[in-house]
Amino acid sequence: MDKLIKRRAAIRNLLIIAGGAMVLPACYRNSGKASIALQNLTISEDEENLLAELTETLIPETTTPGAKSLKLHLFVLKMVDDCYTADNQKLFVEGLKGFNDHFSKQAGTSFADASPEKRQEVLKSIQDIKQKDDPVKKFYDITKSKTIQGYLSSKYVMTNIVKYELVPGRYNGYFPA
Amino acid sequence: MANLTIDSVKERTFDVIVIGSGASGGWAAKEFTEKGLKTLVLERGRPVEHVKDYPTTNMFPYEFEHRNEIPRKEQEENPIVNRCYAYHEDTRHFFVKDAEHPYVQEKPFDWIRGYQVGGKSLLWARQTQRWSDFDFEGPARDEFAVDWPIRYKDIAPWYSYVERFAGISGNKDGLAELPDGEFLPAFPLNAAEDHFKNALKAKFPNRYLISARCAHLSKPNQIHFDQGRVQCQNRVLCQRGCPFGGYFSSNASTLPWAQKTGNLTLRPFSVVHSIIYDEGKGKATGVKVIDTNTKEEIDFFARVVFVNASALNTNLILLNSTSNRFPQGLGNDNGLMGKYVAFHNYSATISAEYNGLLEYKTDGRNPAGGGYIPRFRNVFKQETDFLRGYAAAFSARRAESRNSKGVGEELKNSLVKPELGPWQVGSHMMGETIPKENNYVRLDKSQKDAWGVPLISVKVEYDENDRQIRKDYYEQMREMFEAAGFTNIKTRDTDRNPGLDIHEMGGVRMGHDPKTSLLNGWHQLHACKNVFVTDGACMTSTGTQNPTLTYMAFTARAADYAMNEMKKQNL
Ligand SMILES: Cc1cc2nc3c(=O)[nH]c(=O)nc-3n(C[C@H](O)[C@H](O)[C@H](O)COP(=O)(O)OP(=O)(O)OC[C@H]3O[C@@H](n4cnc5c(N)ncnc54)[C@H](O)[C@@H]3O)c2cc1C
Ligand code: SF4
Repeated sequence: MDKLIKRRAAIRNLLIIAGGAMVLPACYRNSGKASIALQNLTISEDEENLLAELTETLIPETTTPGAKSLKLHLFVLKMVDDCYTADNQKLFVEGLKGFNDHFSKQAGTSFADASPEKRQEVLKSIQDIKQKDDPVKKFYDITKSKTIQGYLSSKYVMTNIVKYELVPGRYNGYFPA
Repeated sequence: MANLTIDSVKERTFDVIVIGSGASGGWAAKEFTEKGLKTLVLERGRPVEHVKDYPTTNMFPYEFEHRNEIPRKEQEENPIVNRCYAYHEDTRHFFVKDAEHPYVQEKPFDWIRGYQVGGKSLLWARQTQRWSDFDFEGPARDEFAVDWPIRYKDIAPWYSYVERFAGISGNKDGLAELPDGEFLPAFPLNAAEDHFKNALKAKFPNRYLISARCAHLSKPNQIHFDQGRVQCQNRVLCQRGCPFGGYFSSNASTLPWAQKTGNLTLRPFSVVHSIIYDEGKGKATGVKVIDTNTKEEIDFFARVVFVNASALNTNLILLNSTSNRFPQGLGNDNGLMGKYVAFHNYSATISAEYNGLLEYKTDGRNPAGGGYIPRFRNVFKQETDFLRGYAAAFSARRAESRNSKGVGEELKNSLVKPELGPWQVGSHMMGETIPKENNYVRLDKSQKDAWGVPLISVKVEYDENDRQIRKDYYEQMREMFEAAGFTNIKTRDTDRNPGLDIHEMGGVRMGHDPKTSLLNGWHQLHACKNVFVTDGACMTSTGTQNPTLTYMAFTARAADYAMNEMKKQNL
């Protein structure tokens, strides 16, 4: 593990030295890193995939697109990486890493193997955790709120479901409710 | 500056120099160029051309990387501007970043600035109310500042003049304390706002809720079309810059108008370092500029100089304009320049709910923002223990709440079916502060900015009067809210630093007497008549009204006076 991190750092340094702000080639993903460039978080490919599954459980594909196809997990990562305090980032990453363990303990099976019903049941139990700085709870709360934000402000929803008007051209203060 | 030829001096000589291209400077530019005077407008920031340089104006919410949030790192690097309610991912390019333009805070003071062509006129909330004689006569009556050398009748025609061109929407409300103007149709109040208005009418004499008066083209006239502006489309994304020219900004209105005359020279990237005073001639002959790209020092010359760099920067420039004749700053014989700085106090808010009129909601957006409660304390006579008073904003909306408790399809479905809650009503205070000698700005000569100009040092704080005003606002508003049947009333002290209301004023105040003021009734420095100050620095007292309309009217009036004096060879 240690070696791997070192290797990655070495590769990263090499890239920086070689090309300044070089864009990582797509195949670099094979090394197991998250698929978007992050400044503060270190997220593995597996963790990213878990996050994608989690957001999809929250907002599943139905007759309309769900979280995965709207790439809401990447939005969550982007927001946590750029807009959250270091403390919350730490809790988020800790929670993400501890999530599967916590889940298995509750469900007797891993998140990936659990049925949708089981997943929902455990997620609801995480929602009920009272301890605010519990990493799993914090990770889940952040993920949920950013997934919701990302969903409601996605191009798909804003053009097809709750339409956003750039130019309303009117104001009516007595509109029938 | 080594190889000066006569020609290049000629090229650098104008009839008038205007320092600053913001709300007030734009008016000076328009007035002078329109009357045929060769006018140089110096602007420290970059050019911003109407529409072309509004990079975010047509973006949808999902096109912002952080959905309009400012990333943490940027927030931490810019704690001051970060506290401004209008600073977001879509507007940040029009705000000054803290580290780029440092100043000294002897007391915490949040100085919000826009350094670019157009200045803060791109960013303002466009609220525009006239002053009345209760404001101009206030200091003489209450003895809290020196007497204003002008009265409402002096400025009233200039308010009209400016309003007609800028386009101000409002109703003729017939209130002595808030004179009517030349209005385009008002943006109407909504159901709950009207309810509050009627409750006040029924129960509180001399207290009114009116439609907020604002610089928007609700129904443009020919003069607005001539400027290339069209009707406001209720986007309420104004601070990004408006492609319709729906609201007044220098960029959409006065500057292009001045440009069309062929008499305007607009020079961005030009920090004015100081005004040049010629002792032999006994007047100012021009200004010294640092080009921000080349760091080159260049002098420009003119018969008249208008200082419109916005209140505190105007103080800075004048204080930095020293000569043998004026060792303490240009025109500063009495040593009062920089003192009696005052501001507005927006530190109090109140909110509540209203469970009536649930058959209505609002549709579209109101660029005026809602309603306005003109000052009702100490207007006709002194009736409280504190001096002056406050105006207040008031607005109402139906909030939508989304049930986000579920997980999966349940969540997905409930998210897109928001439930309409009760009306949410809210108000914030707009308090007047008392100009005091110990609220001042001065130069910190030990520290200079990137262009070799001393840093400005600010010492401005609230006082007991401000605290009493706030207390009264809570008490009176609560009573008014209760009378209107509002529930769940909550008051909040926003605990903010002075300055965040972005209405800093004074330091170069007007007055009759050169011993106690810096400017005369025509905005001329008492001691240097060809230098005029018409931005917020000239304010003797602050009123409760939003100030910019008054700066614009002052500027148009002073420009007219200056041109007449130039004609008579007095300047
Ligand atoms: C978010 C926000 C909301 C506001 N809401 C309202 C409102 O509702 N109603 C209202 O009346 N007012 C409002 N204001 C305040 C209003 O914007 C200002 O009062 C107004 O712009 C002041 O005009 P000005 O010409 O004095 O200054 P500005 O418009 O700030 O222009 C000054 C210009 O001078 C330039 N300058 C400064 N120093 C130098 C120098 N040394 N050399 C060369 N150029 C220099 C600056 O770069 C700037 O472009 C608001 C402001 C903000 C930011
Ligand atoms: S509300 Fe009016 S002025 Fe503001 S952005 Fe929209 S159209 Fe432009």
